[in-house]
Amino acid sequence: MWKKLAEKAFRRSIWVYHCNSGACNGCDIEILNVLTPYYDVERFGIRLVGSPRHADAILLSGAVTRPTLPLVKKAYQAVPAPKLVFAVGSCAIGGGCWYDTYNVTGGGEKAIPINYFIPGCPPRPEAIIYGIALALGLVDKKVAPVELKQMEFPVDMYRHRKLLETNNVIYRLLGEEDDRLTFGRREDG
Amino acid sequence: MNKKKELLISLLKNKLGADFLTEEPASPDRLFVDIKKEALRPVVQLLLEQGGRYQVGVGYDARRNGQGFALLHTFAFDRDGLLVAVRTFSPEDNPEFDSITPIVPGAGWSEREYRDLLGLNFKGHPNPKRLVLADDWPDGIYPLRKDVPHDLMPPSAEEVAFRLDQAPAGTSVVPFGPFHSSLHEPAHFSVYVDGEDIKGCEYRGFMTHRGIEKLGQTELTYNDVPFVAERICGICGSVHSTNYAQAVEAAAGLKISRRAEFIRVVMLELERLHSHLLWLGVAGHLIGFDTVFMQAWRIREKIMWLAESLTGNRKTYGMIIIGGVRRNITSEKTEDIRKVMREVEKETMALEKAIVKDKTIHKRTKGVGYLSKEETVKWNLVGPVARARGLDIDVRRDHPYAAYDELEFDVPVTDSGDVWGTLVVRLKEIYEAIKIIRQSLDKLAQLPESEPLALELEGPIPAGKQGLSVVEAPRGEAVHYVLTGEENRPERWRVRAPTYPNLQAVPQMLVNNKLADFPIIVGSIDPCISCTDRVLLVDLREKKARIVSKQQLEKMSRQVRFGR
Repeated sequence: MWKKLAEKAFRRSIWVYHCNSGACNGCDIEILNVLTPYYDVERFGIRLVGSPRHADAILLSGAVTRPTLPLVKKAYQAVPAPKLVFAVGSCAIGGGCWYDTYNVTGGGEKAIPINYFIPGCPPRPEAIIYGIALALGLVDKKVAPVELKQMEFPVDMYRHRKLLETNNVIYRLLGEEDDRLTFGRREDG
Repeated sequence: MNKKKELLISLLKNKLGADFLTEEPASPDRLFVDIKKEALRPVVQLLLEQGGRYQVGVGYDARRNGQGFALLHTFAFDRDGLLVAVRTFSPEDNPEFDSITPIVPGAGWSEREYRDLLGLNFKGHPNPKRLVLADDWPDGIYPLRKDVPHDLMPPSAEEVAFRLDQAPAGTSVVPFGPFHSSLHEPAHFSVYVDGEDIKGCEYRGFMTHRGIEKLGQTELTYNDVPFVAERICGICGSVHSTNYAQAVEAAAGLKISRRAEFIRVVMLELERLHSHLLWLGVAGHLIGFDTVFMQAWRIREKIMWLAESLTGNRKTYGMIIIGGVRRNITSEKTEDIRKVMREVEKETMALEKAIVKDKTIHKRTKGVGYLSKEETVKWNLVGPVARARGLDIDVRRDHPYAAYDELEFDVPVTDSGDVWGTLVVRLKEIYEAIKIIRQSLDKLAQLPESEPLALELEGPIPAGKQGLSVVEAPRGEAVHYVLTGEENRPERWRVRAPTYPNLQAVPQMLVNNKLADFPIIVGSIDPCISCTDRVLLVDLREKKARIVSKQQLEKMSRQVRFGR
């Protein structure tokens, strides 16, 4: 579906806005690297722009940290529709190796809807170009679609116990008794 | 034994008497002392008088040992090759220390950081505001304390925006960031301007704080940490992993093989090469000279390919572990490196010729972002930023680590004190790095092939030992402090990136410059915000709250284009 939409919506040059939501610089530099002579994405009409208002797509890099979460949302809203969002690198995909620390909310999906994932730590410039070209319908997917099966785990019990643990810690630290038990671990979705 | 060390010990003992607690036996170029907390300010004063350069403050939760909270301040004596760490303890019920910020302005951030993360109070701090944690983080929860789990996530509050100081009278505010095309990482500068002239600036950063130090102390083991340390920063990853490994090795008293030390040097210098070329390109881009950007990054790309063939990845090499390195540099690889070095040297010379004769670059960089040598010393600046202001410090020469004691190189210093100076220093350092790599390859060839790459550790690393290590990153001196702990992981691991002190002086550099020069002045310190922010988040200011609206964000992003 996305391919068809992209073919319709992005028939000409695609301008991208690079949004760093808390990355280590690795992915950011590879994103800049695709502009330089050896990779030169401008031959596909891809350009980095300074304002989300001018952009067709967002390249999101880095785990979304607690302070950048509202900012990422605002930047996403500022991009005119139709828009594409690419999560570049492990951190933007799932939060990376610090996915559950106190100041990281998780991957890019916690903040904004993501259309394409470009894995790697950091992804090679070729991978970034391939990801964008795939979205634009310039190249074909290299793998056959695989049907994933959900495995059965007693996740609920484990989750419940952890929730209680986390919550108790918070209220003990705050020094107040409270029976609100719905927050703590991040909620799904 | 180091003469300076003996002198300092005797001075401290004389001055403090009963307030001097213990002195830890360590290697001749390190001095760890414990003092009573009342004596902190006099001791800092004494160390400064003796020529110490303030590095960083480290706070940690020592309640498990019944010692309450601990606070360290570390100082470097560059001419004597000595690093000093002064530790004090405060009881659990009243964690209060004397602030040293009035005498060492560069300590301001460290103290504010522990106010956020550990709940320590600093008596007499001139600006005790939130630095690291998010605006909506509730008071009373201190994430670095041992009883707080690493994944504790207090509920977020809606619409709590950061609060900035009121702009001085007669000026208006131009917000730069958090997302700005001249800042490649999220950080917010609110710049006060009078017409075109910058009159002041307030910084609010720590947006990429990912809680790495907490992870290292709770979830990871000694040998996991180097791989996470590499991801503190995508540019100078090896610097952080080497630095951490050295700190642990120093604490545990390990001596790694000479071959491993030379391989570490090669990786560090390759990183310096690609980082300086990267900076050169970005600087060209920031002043609107995109040809320099394209050319510098074209040259740099060869180094990235070389790194990939040496280590398997273009960045975050995963080469360094405690006790050595993971991969060898064989003689075939040596030839590849030499070939790339020849090409890079030749092409950089051509680029240099184009840059130093370019009038536009001279006009955009000379006299811009000037800071005097006295200010530089006062704010403890490090790296090319300090060397461009006449301060002759380089950790590689002053506190040799790895194999730098055997290598010959120059430390380029200029005294122009502006952005041009940093450009010259970095250009010259490119050639020095190439020189060091060539020497290391020669020395590697002479070493026996059979030398082990990594040590086999005999038994666990003892707990409660302190290790302090410095490494000259491309941006300046990076400091790592490790206190070893139980359960095969550090009790405390503190990272101080070079941007940490340098960024604190940026408001000084900006004053009386034109607004259009803002990107290049901030760019001139080569800010690595992800290194600086590794721990926590944002500033909460009193006074009037200003919520960043959508319109404002648009305005900000327009100004980005404007500023270029």
